[in-house]
Amino acid sequence: MVDALIVASGVQEVKESLSAVSSLGDVEVLFYGKDADRADEVAKLGVKVYVLKSQHPGALFNAVKKLYDEKQPKVIVGYGTKNNRDALSRLAGTYDLPMATDVIGVEFKDDHIIYKRGFLSERAIATEKIPYPAIILINAKVFEPVQREGSGNIEEISVEEDSVKLLEIKPKQLSGINLEDAEIIVGVGRGFKKKEDLELAFKLAELLGGQVGASRPIAADYKWLPEDAWIGISGKRVAPKLYIAVGISGAPQHMAGVNNSKIIVAINKDKSAPIFKLADYGVVADLYQFLPVLIKKLEEKKGK
Amino acid sequence: MGDIVVLVKPSLNPDMTRSKPDGTVDLDAIPLKLDDIDANALEAAKELKNTLGGKIIALLLLPWGPIQKRTRELKMVTQEALARGADEAYIVSDEKLLPGDPIITATVLSNAIKKYAPNASLVLVAEASIDQTTGQIAGRVAAKLGLPFISYARKITINGNKIVAERDVEDHIEVMEASLPAVVSVTQEINEPRPPTLLQIRRAGKKPQKTLTAADVEPIPERKKEPVEYKILTVSRKQVIIEGDTLEEIAEKLIEALEKEGVL
Repeated sequence: MVDALIVASGVQEVKESLSAVSSLGDVEVLFYGKDADRADEVAKLGVKVYVLKSQHPGALFNAVKKLYDEKQPKVIVGYGTKNNRDALSRLAGTYDLPMATDVIGVEFKDDHIIYKRGFLSERAIATEKIPYPAIILINAKVFEPVQREGSGNIEEISVEEDSVKLLEIKPKQLSGINLEDAEIIVGVGRGFKKKEDLELAFKLAELLGGQVGASRPIAADYKWLPEDAWIGISGKRVAPKLYIAVGISGAPQHMAGVNNSKIIVAINKDKSAPIFKLADYGVVADLYQFLPVLIKKLEEKKGK
Repeated sequence: MGDIVVLVKPSLNPDMTRSKPDGTVDLDAIPLKLDDIDANALEAAKELKNTLGGKIIALLLLPWGPIQKRTRELKMVTQEALARGADEAYIVSDEKLLPGDPIITATVLSNAIKKYAPNASLVLVAEASIDQTTGQIAGRVAAKLGLPFISYARKITINGNKIVAERDVEDHIEVMEASLPAVVSVTQEINEPRPPTLLQIRRAGKKPQKTLTAADVEPIPERKKEPVEYKILTVSRKQVIIEGDTLEEIAEKLIEALEKEGVL
């Protein structure tokens, strides 16, 4: 028996999950996916690691179920990645386990768990209570990653895939930008009238040493930017020092992705846009007029 | 030949979020709507219906009370599902099932599929809902029915007895193939739902619909999730509007403010 089983496909994910379950005892890790060869880094955190080299969602489900049956963990924890949600929702259905996703805070009491998560497309926070055993999927960058040295065993786990066949893996067209690590992000929204105009945002980002991200319409609907630039509930959650929202109205689905930014600046010509109530500094101006001026001023400063 | 079941959730409309004076969410005052991605699931069903040759069955479960107050809203959501292409609807509504708990919801829906849609060859489910966004019903239902599961489909084609779907994972696409019957969760990217026409809305009223109680969909497992508190999210940002006579002045003030914050 173990207290917690971490199901993860990344090293940072393991460190944050360990932090979330730090009040529990024995923890073991199921580490899977295309980064599975980094299992030694996980073992160095002083935990036993089971490695699953497959990326197949059915194989992951079978691996999780096998470990659950053998180890009877009180808690299963990891990020709410799509593979985790897929496999763990099936485990939840198999055993009628309670499962909480997008968790931003959790307390493990003696006979129950209390967690917090977004509710109503993140307009509210829900606090809910569930019994053990349970599945808790945490949001990235909420729990402080653990830093520790140790040594744990690595054991490869082999399971069958299920009846669903993985025929082909196709790459997505991606920018390769790692928004999660960016210190400054310029976010672009529907205020931009055409794709070419995004050049203004790129210029601003470049001057600030930052990256460009986007709201849903720009990245997912118009596809002016690759999908990995999409920030929001269904896109990425970011936490830069500075987030400059340009031509973004401030829909909760987008803001949920940037709420952890230290400072938020809003540039929007509509003074009644909700973004101004969700920002630290607001500029009510047409981005087509204001950005060139801001860029010029920053260039002047840089020149000095 | 097979029917398509679409799970339709009457969700609290987040755009109509209401609060009580103490800052908690006034759940009873928030109206229900047909969930956003359910419209995509219904649209996908419409596109696949001819290939599969059966009918589209919408299956609804009321997750929020109070029941008396929700009757009209539930009726409207049902009408919309029928107008959006469902041929018939089953609506589960019972005090015993409130408030929704994913364990109960998934079990009730699975039981209802077995009993009322025995010829289903495909169960379509939205990847997540707009109110609770737990994103787990599809996987739970697949496990309960013991059917193959493909999650996060953004493209579906039917090939004889097989379904091929493009599964949208974070940084790549997986092309998956499953035998029918299967459970598939869909993302918003799968299509652009067409709003129902006036004629479709009018016809919806004549389509068959049946209301079920908990007794019709037994056995029902015990509830495990208990609400503790639902609080409106308050953001405490500075909300300073930078003003000036010229854009130059505003830009300078903004840069100055950001330097003071130590973020430039």
